[in-house]
Amino acid sequence: MASRAEPHRGPDWLAVATVLGALLLCYYLLPVLSLVASQSPTAVLARLDDPAVVGAMTTSVVASTVSTLVGVAFGLPLAYWLARTDGRVKTLVTALVVLPLVLPPIVSGMVLLTVVGPDTLVGELASASGLPLTRSIAGVVLAQTFVASPFVVVTAKAAFEGVDDRLEAASRSLGKSRATTVRRVTLPLAWPGILAGVTLAFARAIGEFGATIMLAYYPRTMPVQIWVAFSTEGLSEAFPVAVVLLGVSVVSLVVLNALGTNPLD
Amino acid sequence: MLELDALETRYDDFTFGPLDLTVEDEVLAVLGPSGSGKTTLLSTVAGIVSSAGGSVRLDGRELTGRPPEARGTGVVFQDGALFPHMTARENLSYAATDAGRVGELANLLEIDDVLGRRPGALSGGERQRVALARTLAADPDALLLDEPLSSLDAPIRRRLRLELHDLFGSLDIPVVCVTHDQRTASALGDRLAVLRDGQLEQAGPCSAVLERPATPFVARFTGSENVLTARVLERTVEAVLLGLAPGRPLAALDGTRVTADVGETVTVSVHPARFEFGRETTAELHGVAPLQGCVQRLVNEGDQYRLVVETRPGGDSSTAGLALAVTAAPTTVSRLGLAAGEQVSLSVDPADVNVIG
Repeated sequence: MASRAEPHRGPDWLAVATVLGALLLCYYLLPVLSLVASQSPTAVLARLDDPAVVGAMTTSVVASTVSTLVGVAFGLPLAYWLARTDGRVKTLVTALVVLPLVLPPIVSGMVLLTVVGPDTLVGELASASGLPLTRSIAGVVLAQTFVASPFVVVTAKAAFEGVDDRLEAASRSLGKSRATTVRRVTLPLAWPGILAGVTLAFARAIGEFGATIMLAYYPRTMPVQIWVAFSTEGLSEAFPVAVVLLGVSVVSLVVLNALGTNPLD
Repeated sequence: MLELDALETRYDDFTFGPLDLTVEDEVLAVLGPSGSGKTTLLSTVAGIVSSAGGSVRLDGRELTGRPPEARGTGVVFQDGALFPHMTARENLSYAATDAGRVGELANLLEIDDVLGRRPGALSGGERQRVALARTLAADPDALLLDEPLSSLDAPIRRRLRLELHDLFGSLDIPVVCVTHDQRTASALGDRLAVLRDGQLEQAGPCSAVLERPATPFVARFTGSENVLTARVLERTVEAVLLGLAPGRPLAALDGTRVTADVGETVTVSVHPARFEFGRETTAELHGVAPLQGCVQRLVNEGDQYRLVVETRPGGDSSTAGLALAVTAAPTTVSRLGLAAGEQVSLSVDPADVNVIG
């Protein structure tokens, strides 16, 4: 019997991937740790007694939660439609969904101002009805939804596409309506992808600055508060507030993922 | 009763139908190669795909235009299409119109022991049983099965064929079972429809389609792979002598079965299992001298041998031979001591010669 040639031993690609991934993680983690380590706990805790910081925290968490929910409420149906549609219209709609992701956030804010700004018809009508769309928490939510909801749509679309449409056909042939099918079959199976999209959207919303400052300088969100601290009192004053934002963000994401166990499974 | 009237479906590069079919409370096996429109037929009847024309009626109810959930057509998909996030029991409960049916169907289809498992932990046969039980739990008015046995191992397929045959017989609803496997079609079907390129090639009682295929395509696809051009060698009032070439008779048929005159050709088919063969002999059988041929190939298929026998019309070794497919029981092959390269004699009963036209 002919002896089998020794197979060529190439690089261990799993090890290479691990090293590259570890380097990227270090790039994420080191600046964060460095920021936290550079600030005295006393200085950080002192900011938690500052009404302006507490107010900004509250605005950020409330507005990000609302904008994420709005993104889910409107984004999931759009994502489902995109996942179950073919053709040129789908391509156009997908491009439109991605548009807010490629616009510089400050331009997103300018774009929104042309529609909901105080001098526009919509803005004037909203102000007259007691719900101004700028310099209000509604403005914050509008800005955050514009820049963050595409994450829900794009990620959920991929998740819905991953659900075999024969399963939906099977469910409907068993006498279940499309709504029941989506609720009992599609959503539970797409849930991990949807949760990823929700997490990304919330993270993007809580960190939103450019569009928000154009629409709603007040009430201040955490990023705006950090910018105000930096521009009025310098970088040293902005750092402790940044640490507070970091803490709020981490806690929020942990809570979101803890709540994110599939409620429909 | 399921009635399809000029049913038509169109895709970009494929047109299915128009198709007319009626399925009483019986099993219609739909046979056809990949791309012939079998799954399209089921999807259109079930409302999963919109029809471009025609109508579907079930027990007199017009189904055309209704969504799948309002049709009462239960579909068993290829590979089951079980919901992977639910256990087998939850799959059944999801569909069940009556919770009591879950245990009853689990018992009937012998899946009691696997009800707690998710589809990923089920074998292929178990998955198909659960899928069938799930569909029956919804109490459908018609049952549509898409290649229900194609993904199963041969022994499980054979066993499930028998079980499904018995089960379908007790349902008293129209059952349409599409398959590309002739054995599954003939085992399950009361009637058989053969599809080709989205068109109905032939439909009728199973035995009629299998024994009297109406086109060369149906003949080949249902196993009568010897589709031959035969010449009318002689003709009397009572009989017609068909041959593969002058002086090489094939069979003497009843005169009413062939209208062609002497010298004209007709297309006939002979199932490989219908040839009778032995060692070289010139003794007449069924009224004609047997064909002489050489075994070119001999393949053991387990339950039978498949032979390719080359006959030379006129015995002229310089002309191209005509290859005939022949199957034989292993006992026959061993009794005759057959091997490739040996000469054999072939005869066929006139009743086993199918005249296509």
